[in-house]
Amino acid sequence: MTEPEQTGRGRVNGGLKMMSRATYIREALLKNLFLLCAIVAVAAVALIFVFTTARGWEVVKDPGLAAFLGGTEWSSTLGRFGILPLVVGTLAITLGSLVLGAPLAIGTAVFLSEIASPRMRSIVRPAVEMLAGVPSVVYGFFGLVILRPIAAELTGGMGFGTLTASVILAVMIVPTIATLTEDALGSVPPGIREASYAMGATTWQTIYKVLLPAAKIGIIDATILGMGRAIGETMAVVMVAGNAPQFFKGLGAPIATLTSQIVIDMSYATGTHKTALFGLAIILFLISMGLVALVRALSRLNAKKA
Amino acid sequence: MATLVLALTLTGCTGGGERREVIVTGSTTLLPITEVSGEMYTESHDGIAILVSGMGSSAGIESVSKGSSDIGTSSRELKDAELDLGLEDTPVAYDAIAVIVHPDNPVSDLTTLEVRSIFAGVITNWSEVGGPDLPIGLVNRDEASGTREAFSKIIMDDAQFDHGAVVLPGTGQVRSVIADVRGAIGYISLGFVTDDVKAVAIDGVEPSEATVVSGDYPVQRVLHFFTKDDLSDIARDYIEYVLSPDVQDTIVRDAGFIPITAKEAIGD
Repeated sequence: MTEPEQTGRGRVNGGLKMMSRATYIREALLKNLFLLCAIVAVAAVALIFVFTTARGWEVVKDPGLAAFLGGTEWSSTLGRFGILPLVVGTLAITLGSLVLGAPLAIGTAVFLSEIASPRMRSIVRPAVEMLAGVPSVVYGFFGLVILRPIAAELTGGMGFGTLTASVILAVMIVPTIATLTEDALGSVPPGIREASYAMGATTWQTIYKVLLPAAKIGIIDATILGMGRAIGETMAVVMVAGNAPQFFKGLGAPIATLTSQIVIDMSYATGTHKTALFGLAIILFLISMGLVALVRALSRLNAKKA
Repeated sequence: MATLVLALTLTGCTGGGERREVIVTGSTTLLPITEVSGEMYTESHDGIAILVSGMGSSAGIESVSKGSSDIGTSSRELKDAELDLGLEDTPVAYDAIAVIVHPDNPVSDLTTLEVRSIFAGVITNWSEVGGPDLPIGLVNRDEASGTREAFSKIIMDDAQFDHGAVVLPGTGQVRSVIADVRGAIGYISLGFVTDDVKAVAIDGVEPSEATVVSGDYPVQRVLHFFTKDDLSDIARDYIEYVLSPDVQDTIVRDAGFIPITAKEAIGD
């Protein structure tokens, strides 16, 4: 607990050379400690990637890359491991959650950033942040008990499937998108906002014509990260999606995703089946790398423009 | 833990020492038997711990053959690939798999062929089997399930399950969904059937202890304990305890299963 004080004195002394030897060593140790933290984080990602790739790359031999990536049936008893139904399932549920969740989240962010009084903001913002802290199994349980019967009424099926999963995921991605969108709106220079009002624009005109376009790239970033969250979510999806590895047959029909299939199969998978599950993990890893790369590219674009 | 260390030190820890626990892994169907009998055994046997977990029959068989548990419980027979694992089989109870529907469903009798066609996705409306005009909602178990394995072997006869069926990873989940959805059909162990759902008769035979023992109810199976031959003395003693009339007539029967001794009694 004495470190901050020491650093403070170091700064007062002006430069490392004026430090006592003890302070110098402490500073060097701390610097390396933080470097170590960063290395551990990077190594964790690298190790996970190496491990899943090592366990999963053999899908190119058995069942073969074409049968794996292009196969239309996932059935472990028949030894068929085609991921297309799972990819379609993941896309359908993710798309559904974005259609429902993104407008909700962006609306929330606009409200927090532009409309809410400080008092209102102090209520709404923690509530939104709390959504991010609710464990996914609780979302899943809520979906299973409350939303599934409603979806069953609406679609005439059993309520397991794309609709229920999308609604649950829409709520789950709201905090991600709302928080980042609010940041993006907050970083629009106040001058732009004031200029708009000075021209006689109403609040709505300012938001719609000035602020949202100005924060566009930040909002797209936020949505992409929300999408990443939706693609990766597992527990809540397993509980409400119905886990049937079939192609999308309507909002009320059961469906499986890349993540839910791994959970359902992992306890008993052996041999090729296990390799195929690691293959699914590689696909998920590549998707999330792709999304992160997209976000980085967009923010570089944004920086260049600014 | 401290007493365990002390005991090991005092006895000089010869021959690997004596563990004071039995690890039981496997079928969720057997949990009512293994959990309750495990607790009773711990109480009456000087605190010897019976550590029970349910991860599915396949996981239990894999676990006992790899030596990470003492007893692997299974609600299905060994598959061909598992025969040469050197596992010893101790049947501990009989169980019937009940085909269950919503209590308001007027259909109360199906033939084996009808059940097969329903689960294969050939029959998709209750009106085809004498019920109301209501789409059938199929509820299946995950492939790790011993109940699914047994159901598939007895009813499906190599026909494939409909891919569009909802897959749920537990007996309790299947029951709660079927209790809630009017058109749903699924299958669970007879021991788990409650008033929330209705078990239908198969080929005119209601599932019950009498029809299982007489062999009339077709969808029945044996519940197993699988062990390796280097079984510890306390694990052996625990298995004997489970097979004793004390447990068979109380815990096994209370859990809705049929004592392994029931058929022998008829045979006498």
